[in-house]
Amino acid sequence: MQKLVNKKQKKENHQNRDCIITVDIGTSAVRIFAFEMEGAIIATMKGFYPTFHTQPDYSEQDPEQIFVTVLNVLRNILTEKIHPNKYKVAAICFSAAMHSVLPVDKNGTPLGNAIVWADNRAKKEAAELKNSELGEKIYHATGTPIHPMSPLAKIAWLRNNDKERFASTYKFVSIKDYILQQLTGEYVIDHSLASSTGLLNIHTLEWNSDSLAFAGIDGDKLPKPVPVYYSGLTFHKQYCANLGVPAKTKIIIGASDGCLATLGSGVWGEGKATITIEASGAVRVAGKKVLEDKKLRFFNYLLADGYYVSGGPTNNGGVIFEWFTRQFGTFQDYTDFEENVSDFFKEAAMVAPGSDGLIFLPYLLGERAPIWNANARGLYFGINIKHEQKHFVRATIEGILYEIYSIGKILEEHRSIESLYVNGTFASLPLWAQIMADMFNKPVYVNDTHDTIGKGALLLSLTGMGIYKNLEEASATIRFPHVFLPSQRDHNVYMSYFSIFERLSSKLEEEFSQIALLQQRK
Amino acid sequence: MNQFILRQGVSKELQFFPHILEFASQKFQTVQLHSLEIIKTECLKIYYVTEGKFEWMIDHQFYTLYPGDVALLRPGQYFGSEKGFFDLGTLWWLCIGPDNSQPSEAMQENWSGILAAEDHVAGKLLSFNHNPVLPGFKVVGEIFQQLQRELFIQEIGYRTRTSHLVDELLISIIRQLATQDTKRRDFPQSFLQLEQMLRDNLSHQWTVEEMAVTMRLGISAFTEKVKNYTGFPPLNYLINIRISEAIKLLKRTDLTLTDIALDTGFYSSQHFSTTFKKITGYTPSRFKKNNIGKS
Repeated sequence: MQKLVNKKQKKENHQNRDCIITVDIGTSAVRIFAFEMEGAIIATMKGFYPTFHTQPDYSEQDPEQIFVTVLNVLRNILTEKIHPNKYKVAAICFSAAMHSVLPVDKNGTPLGNAIVWADNRAKKEAAELKNSELGEKIYHATGTPIHPMSPLAKIAWLRNNDKERFASTYKFVSIKDYILQQLTGEYVIDHSLASSTGLLNIHTLEWNSDSLAFAGIDGDKLPKPVPVYYSGLTFHKQYCANLGVPAKTKIIIGASDGCLATLGSGVWGEGKATITIEASGAVRVAGKKVLEDKKLRFFNYLLADGYYVSGGPTNNGGVIFEWFTRQFGTFQDYTDFEENVSDFFKEAAMVAPGSDGLIFLPYLLGERAPIWNANARGLYFGINIKHEQKHFVRATIEGILYEIYSIGKILEEHRSIESLYVNGTFASLPLWAQIMADMFNKPVYVNDTHDTIGKGALLLSLTGMGIYKNLEEASATIRFPHVFLPSQRDHNVYMSYFSIFERLSSKLEEEFSQIALLQQRK
Repeated sequence: MNQFILRQGVSKELQFFPHILEFASQKFQTVQLHSLEIIKTECLKIYYVTEGKFEWMIDHQFYTLYPGDVALLRPGQYFGSEKGFFDLGTLWWLCIGPDNSQPSEAMQENWSGILAAEDHVAGKLLSFNHNPVLPGFKVVGEIFQQLQRELFIQEIGYRTRTSHLVDELLISIIRQLATQDTKRRDFPQSFLQLEQMLRDNLSHQWTVEEMAVTMRLGISAFTEKVKNYTGFPPLNYLINIRISEAIKLLKRTDLTLTDIALDTGFYSSQHFSTTFKKITGYTPSRFKKNNIGKS
């Protein structure tokens, strides 16, 4: 009886309370959060979709499966967690992974699968542009590094290699634009996502004519760029009815996942940098100025109000440790993969910083920032007769983090960084966070919740709705429960090895090219 | 080792086991031309190498087998040697097929103790197996030896034992196939393989048990892991694939709703329409109308 009363009270308390739904269309799943206006999470649900690798350099996703999954998860969270608790949806805000390209025809029907960020088929197009004057001009105008990941290179690839598809394309959209087009009938792209295409001039917020010429298209082949707060979209009636939300429900277009992760990790303003390590990783700073790097090593993506998120991405994050576990884990008695991973963390903790002189270059997937060398490969260096398995385990982790440090170090040439804010499955592990604190010799704040993108979308929505004055005020609401302080002694150890790490990474350039060529010949 | 070839309908040792079409142990000491041309396999055939080195083509792929290795051939696969003969060495083989001589159900139940449902799953697993060679799988050799003893000595209870041994053999092979696939693989990798299997056979009415067995997991562990990983229970995840394929067919083809429903694994156009409406809010025909010809 008491329970029943409580339940009733609870329901009454929730009567008509507003909530914000954030939809993140990520690299392998859609993650939907429902937040109270004050930031508490009401519920979260996700829906996985696969990536297809039909050829070595290809990474594709099925836009229809993503669409169905988004609809399904959105409906589930609304009907199971929101409507029964009498929440009213104040806004739905969207974010998505960057760099995807999907050609659609006049009816909006996809011409094949979407080409996603990890796809490297446009190697030739990117290389052609990379060391040219035009490439440099495009980089400075668009903020996107010249790389096969960029939609600019991908569209150029389609023009050169898939003429039929290129010719029948009505628009080149991103996966997020496609989902929104299906839901609302409009072709729009937010400035943030557009700023990662290599096609948007981040200073004028218009499609960049040099990029359009290189890709071989007119601006009308792309969706209309709109600000991240844009809320002029409405869902088709049937979708509203099916989701159980009013027809005039506010839709906020939102931004890219990278920009929102930075906002949502509370890093906004001077002296702060954020480190994310999931399968891949990135080091980012936010500010009102773009980083003008002469060697073109950083991205400058626009979020809003003249704020840029700048930094460098690495291919070789947690995926490398997973690779190591798969190869060298014992897997006795059908132990789970996760158990083998955690056994390895224990082993790594038994070795002193520096792995007794064993150094690992983690470039198994080639590397983006800071060396931008797709041919780079992995290496264990300095092996002596006393090294045991546990040294290899620790060296692998340290190698991944030296790489992160090398990005941060170059960022520091442009910005002063006093503290680091880490998030993501791997970066928030205590061992990893401590190693980063020691390498950078700076305090590392850990946010171990896995909702930084959702949080970022929430803060963006609340700012767009006028509840926060600006993004700076919004980001100040993020709290960091754990801090790891650096040890000067361990810092010195890491630095003596890092100088070797750095020199090996550049010294081996010729050998990297040779071995990559031999490997391709196979 | 003594050599023998038992053949159904010829060797009286097999008279009570109509599903065993052939069981043999042979030592090849000289080249026998045309003894192994590449032809279509007609039964489930299991080879086990005890001596020598055998170079075979299975479905246009080249394999080399050493002592202890097993080759597993499904009906319809092309098998043989490019040279057209058996390499020198020693082999066991067993052919199992449907019982054509006596169509009585009682007889069929006699030979296999594997439950009907499990048998179906086993069949699925065998048919999805892309790698026909199981290296270093000595259990098969041991079972063949026992099988030979039972069939030749015919001690009391040999009919039961023989049937049990054939079941044991099939179960061992199926488990080995599943282990081979999942060994050193984390869940995400094995799941992607299952995902592809579902896509390749979308019109099949998949059960959770069939899906679970391909990942060598029990039904409840499998369901929980899939839910954790994908956010959906297995059959709901499958519905996402079915509906997204159906959307493509709606948008790109003029197939009837019934054809689309059956192609994408729904029981009927009614079942398809209900599920489609539940997820999208549209009936399939309305959805089609909205998405074509707006230009």
